[in-house]
Amino acid sequence: MNHWPFIIAAYGLTLGGTALLLLVAFVRMRRFEKRAEELKRR
Amino acid sequence: MHRFANPTRFLKFARPATWVCLSLGLLLLVPGIYGGLFITPPDYLQGDSARILYVHVPAAWLGMAGWSGLAAASIAQIVWRHPLAFVAAQATAPVGAVFAALCLATGSIWGRPTWGTWWEWDGRLTSMLILFFLYLAYIALADADRERGGEGRIAAIFGIAGTAILPVIHYSVLWWNTLHQGQSISFVRGESSIAEELFWPLPLTAGGFTLLFAAAVLMFMRAELARGRVEARLRRQAEGQR
Amino acid sequence: MMRPKQQRLVLVVAALVALGGAALLALWGLESRAAYFVTPSDIVAGKVEAGVPLRLGGMVREGSLDRKPDGVTVSFEAVSGADVVEVSYTGILPDLFREGSGMVAEGRLGADGRFLADTILAKHDERYMPPPLEKAQAAGETLER
Repeated sequence: MNHWPFIIAAYGLTLGGTALLLLVAFVRMRRFEKRAEELKRR
Repeated sequence: MHRFANPTRFLKFARPATWVCLSLGLLLLVPGIYGGLFITPPDYLQGDSARILYVHVPAAWLGMAGWSGLAAASIAQIVWRHPLAFVAAQATAPVGAVFAALCLATGSIWGRPTWGTWWEWDGRLTSMLILFFLYLAYIALADADRERGGEGRIAAIFGIAGTAILPVIHYSVLWWNTLHQGQSISFVRGESSIAEELFWPLPLTAGGFTLLFAAAVLMFMRAELARGRVEARLRRQAEGQR
Repeated sequence: MMRPKQQRLVLVVAALVALGGAALLALWGLESRAAYFVTPSDIVAGKVEAGVPLRLGGMVREGSLDRKPDGVTVSFEAVSGADVVEVSYTGILPDLFREGSGMVAEGRLGADGRFLADTILAKHDERYMPPPLEKAQAAGETLER
């Protein structure tokens, strides 16, 4: 059995999942910090 | 303990820490992943599929370490009423859940070419799946409690009680006959049954993913604190208009 | 008098101890039922009923693998300690199935004491190392230099 499709799937899933998690966290942080900043300036 | 109780002081630390964790994490991950995929020799028995080790083991470690952190924060929340504790526990839960899920998924992918099965209900696999469900239950409990305006007391108790699964996962391969092999690395005895040529990328990927884990938790915490500020300000404005 | 903070700490510690104790008791009760497979020793000791579906886990004894002429039927000896059970199986073996390595067989114990497997899974141990050939080559290269 060729192992590489399995290896690529495992690495892709882990790296993709981590990237997506960081992106979601970043967007959420950015959105609320921006709104807090806007409200403060008003 | 209360040094970071003041959110302003915490943010002063968290803002640079987020970027340090992110960049340092990536810096460790790149050579770790490259080494694990292309430089290390294949395993004598498992061949190339053993390369999945370098993502599977960090995911497993972070899935479990995540719950330890969540439980520690829950204890701080119950005992010291630390104002940031619930924020920290809540920020850790989704990150831990993602890594527990990645551990299960990569393990399943690894199992097919080595054991010859995607999934078996053995002690190790089942207890790890339970940990994943505990994360989901914690997230649901904490969300429900927050919506009702609570302080997450029930979620914290659940977080502390859930630590019981951690020794079960760890010792499952010793207590019961399992399809999953025994542990390769013993921190207590400082031993590893992984040959040096195959071992070296593991600290790099484990360290890298740990730092990215920390970065995600910090970002979720900052999001939650900013959300709190927004809500407080809107409430004050609404009261001022009346 | 304890401060409320200390009271809560004591409470949490007590709860953790109680929880740990309860978990240990539950696991103790679960002990044998949570086992994923039985071993050849369990079968030799007569702990296993014939005909009941179960899993058998053990090492494949070196030199015991016998491929029948039809090409898909195999038999081999599974060992744990000094105890041996003969296993027969018709089907494709997993890639990692090796003599001297671990395996888990799903099936039932026949009346004659042989284990009839429907499925075979390979089990490996916790050691990871380079293939011996590469190691020898690497050693040869360093010698040459």
